[in-house]
Amino acid sequence: MKRFKTKAPGILSSAELKTSYGKFLYWLFFALLLIVCAVSLIPAIWTVVSAFKPTQEIYSSEVTFFPKEMSFEIFKTRLIESWSTLQLQNAVINTLVLSIGELFMTLAFDGLGGYVLSKLKPKGIKFIFALVVWTMMMPSQIRMVPNYISWLHFPFAYDIGGVSIMNTYWPMWISAAANTFNVVLFKNSFDMLSDSYVEAAKLDGCTDIGILLRIMFPLSMPIVIYVSIMTLSGSWSNFFTPMLVLNPEKYTVPVRVLKLKSSTSVQLNTYFMCMVFASVPPFIIFVLFQKYIMGGVNIGGVKG
Amino acid sequence: MKISVKNNKTKRIFGKQIVPWLLICPLIIVLYLAVWRPTVIGAFWSFFKMNAYNPGRFVGLENYKLVISNSQFFLILCNTMMYVFWSLVIGFIPPLAIAIMINEMVHLKSQMRVVMYLPAVIPGIAAMLIWARMYDPSSSGLLNMLLARFGIDAFGWLDNPKFTIIGIVLYMTWSGFAGTMLLYYATVQGISSELYEAALIDGAGPLRRCWHVTLPQMSGILLLNLVRQIIGVFQVMEQPLAMTDGGPNGASASLSYQLYLYGFKSSGQRTGQAMALGVIIFLILLVLTCFYFWLNRKVENNF
Repeated sequence: MKRFKTKAPGILSSAELKTSYGKFLYWLFFALLLIVCAVSLIPAIWTVVSAFKPTQEIYSSEVTFFPKEMSFEIFKTRLIESWSTLQLQNAVINTLVLSIGELFMTLAFDGLGGYVLSKLKPKGIKFIFALVVWTMMMPSQIRMVPNYISWLHFPFAYDIGGVSIMNTYWPMWISAAANTFNVVLFKNSFDMLSDSYVEAAKLDGCTDIGILLRIMFPLSMPIVIYVSIMTLSGSWSNFFTPMLVLNPEKYTVPVRVLKLKSSTSVQLNTYFMCMVFASVPPFIIFVLFQKYIMGGVNIGGVKG
Repeated sequence: MKISVKNNKTKRIFGKQIVPWLLICPLIIVLYLAVWRPTVIGAFWSFFKMNAYNPGRFVGLENYKLVISNSQFFLILCNTMMYVFWSLVIGFIPPLAIAIMINEMVHLKSQMRVVMYLPAVIPGIAAMLIWARMYDPSSSGLLNMLLARFGIDAFGWLDNPKFTIIGIVLYMTWSGFAGTMLLYYATVQGISSELYEAALIDGAGPLRRCWHVTLPQMSGILLLNLVRQIIGVFQVMEQPLAMTDGGPNGASASLSYQLYLYGFKSSGQRTGQAMALGVIIFLILLVLTCFYFWLNRKVENNF
């Protein structure tokens, strides 16, 4: 209980933590938070546990939380079996292609846009920025069907020629680049950097793209990483546009997961295993970049 | 001599004005193709009869009449309002309370935050289907399994028209609270401890300090998040699409979900109505969005 003494006064001060009322409040808070942690974890744990159960056990009348038989061998066979039933290899490769394309588009288009909006500021750019900010808050429903039509007759959105970019990843790539939220994030973070960096680099003969790549991005690494992570994990969870435009052989993992809902041939434990497989890549990203994600929520969230 | 000065000048203008515009051109083109033009043609074509995905003749307000006169329209509008209502009742307080409580912790503070962020890591579609299985009306669902332990009969959960919206909102709260909580947590951390010390000297107890120091300091961000949550939940579509298909009997259908049905599940018969419905949603949210921007400016000026 040593740490109580040095605690900064908030709702509970260190003096109050010596009284029984203060202690009661503190441990009440602690217990409530533990409950919240449990609620956050239980659905995930239940999924993993069910994925390793035999299907009959999930349906049986005497339900248990944990599987009755547990051994390394059973787990291994379950993993191999599910993987061979689900055939996710193609979907994983597709999702990788999609996510890397989205990442490239986001960094190139939005980064450059943020740089121009923040540092170069040519005449009349204020108008563009106002449009960008307004776009950020516009509901996307109004453009759902027109967007679909644009993909059908790209780039005219009208049946006077143009090509269909259905069943390619371009719709998702273009939408990723058109994420105004990221543009504003980049602009705000570049605003924090002094203009003299740009002037000095210009004197040394650096081009604008060089400045963006060698000065702006490295100096605002937390934001670049945050945007990258959000873009990458977005393509592991967005299913709506891919579902509309892609054919089965190009399905990404989220669409495969969604289609599982209506398929009757898949056993229930394999169904759960598919959720586990689909969660692994974002989970790895989270474990690797946890610091940036938890910090980035604040940078990303304050300016809505 | 004169010529070179002029050359320099054009070069400078070129460097200062033209090059930046060229650099931002890709972004503008992409925004034009994917956001601005679709928004405008969505509004424009809502006055036309659509033949599948091609505009036909001008029909005035016909599409709007068809949308509003649909017997389901007011039910669906009410459903959407219920989503917003329940998301405020269920989802607004927990992130705030958790952020304030976690700020008081001296044990396991950062571990707790990581654990609580886990729901946000699971991909949305997988989490939706997991929750749909948890709500399964048979005894294989997690919640009915728990009820069975206490000897209570199985409940319909999402199959129950009265519960289905609440069930979806519970999922949305579970998957979204961590992000909001971290946002609030940063604000709580930013409150100066001098304010608490002053309140302490004035003899304010823990709960009064929370009410008179913490909450007033957070009022700006709380209001902003309130409006943002209303705007966000009003557009709910993927959750009913993945978890309930709008069922049972349309009890969980929202305006956006209805738009999806009009646009993509009517074999091209109702795409015009989809656009009209899009404009209706747009107009409802426009009011809220304007309010949000006004509020945002006010909050920024205050701090």
